[in-house]
Amino acid sequence: MDANTQPTEGDMTASLMMDGNAVAGLLMEIFGRDMTIAESECDGCGADHMMGELRAYVHAPGVVLRCPDCGQVALRIVASGSFYWLDARGAAYLRLARQ
Amino acid sequence: MEPRLEWQRGVITAIRPETPRAKTLTIRVPDWMRHRAGQHYDVRLTAEDGYQAQRSYSVASPPERTGLIELTVERLEDGEVSPYLCDVAMPGDELEVRGPIGGYFVWEARTTRPLLLVGGGSGVVPLMAMIRHRSAAGSHVPARLLYSARAPEEIIYRPELDRLGMTDPAIQVVYTFTRMTPPGWPGYARRIDAQMLREVSAPLGQGALAYVCGPTLLVEAVADALVGLGWPPVSVLTERFGPTGSTS
Repeated sequence: MDANTQPTEGDMTASLMMDGNAVAGLLMEIFGRDMTIAESECDGCGADHMMGELRAYVHAPGVVLRCPDCGQVALRIVASGSFYWLDARGAAYLRLARQ
Repeated sequence: MEPRLEWQRGVITAIRPETPRAKTLTIRVPDWMRHRAGQHYDVRLTAEDGYQAQRSYSVASPPERTGLIELTVERLEDGEVSPYLCDVAMPGDELEVRGPIGGYFVWEARTTRPLLLVGGGSGVVPLMAMIRHRSAAGSHVPARLLYSARAPEEIIYRPELDRLGMTDPAIQVVYTFTRMTPPGWPGYARRIDAQMLREVSAPLGQGALAYVCGPTLLVEAVADALVGLGWPPVSVLTERFGPTGSTS
């Protein structure tokens, strides 16, 4: 952001955005393996992306991962008490290498 | 099976200032596992009342430096973790860490494709791990680092980068300054744009691989510009972090 230009609301949202690499540790906690190279298909637009490429919003009481192409929410994750809640209804599938 | 990722207690063995706002912490890791250049570690702090905050930091050291990791941390004014790491932590202190993490934004020295590295601010940290890995592994792939910083004093690893640019003809380091330029500076003094990317990457030719890391807006602009210049999207790997973000 230049000092002499006012950021727009869109810029502010964009500047808070990260990507799936930033939540690799949390994903590894849940899945027990590196998920940044697992492929997910967006249930909205059908685009396939590595999870490391998904847009990540972490400045909330939970993590939201969105499709970089259409913006649809792919996964929501909240850690609460002794449980993780994972809402993956925005992902048509996750594809993980067998190991 | 990958080993399960566990928290472990590392020990800070050295702290080195890099810029007025960034420091490098050397941490001895008891169950050290060879990382890949570009991976990160999570750092977790626990307050006396049990409150925990954790952030993810890219490893700056190459995998060839065994038994320890170096994390370069930029101090964020409203950060929960970075002010502690930059202002309070001392050599000898223990620190909870887990890693290495991430298999997406990584580079291996056995890769033979020419390498374009584009970094903004502390986004240079994982790129530095790649540069150091390249040197330590004896790789001679042509490489260019395009590094955008607000001012010359904010360049992290400057002495090492300048030395590298002089001693290794296959690597070239190019800076651009976006806020303040030294008097008589002959180089770039603007935000990274398509023309700059074309000029810097032209000597690499076709088939190069790009790694772009920095604040989200810079990464978006650079990735879009590279694709606009004809780079295949699969050859442009990105890692983004926000201003109060969890990566650096």
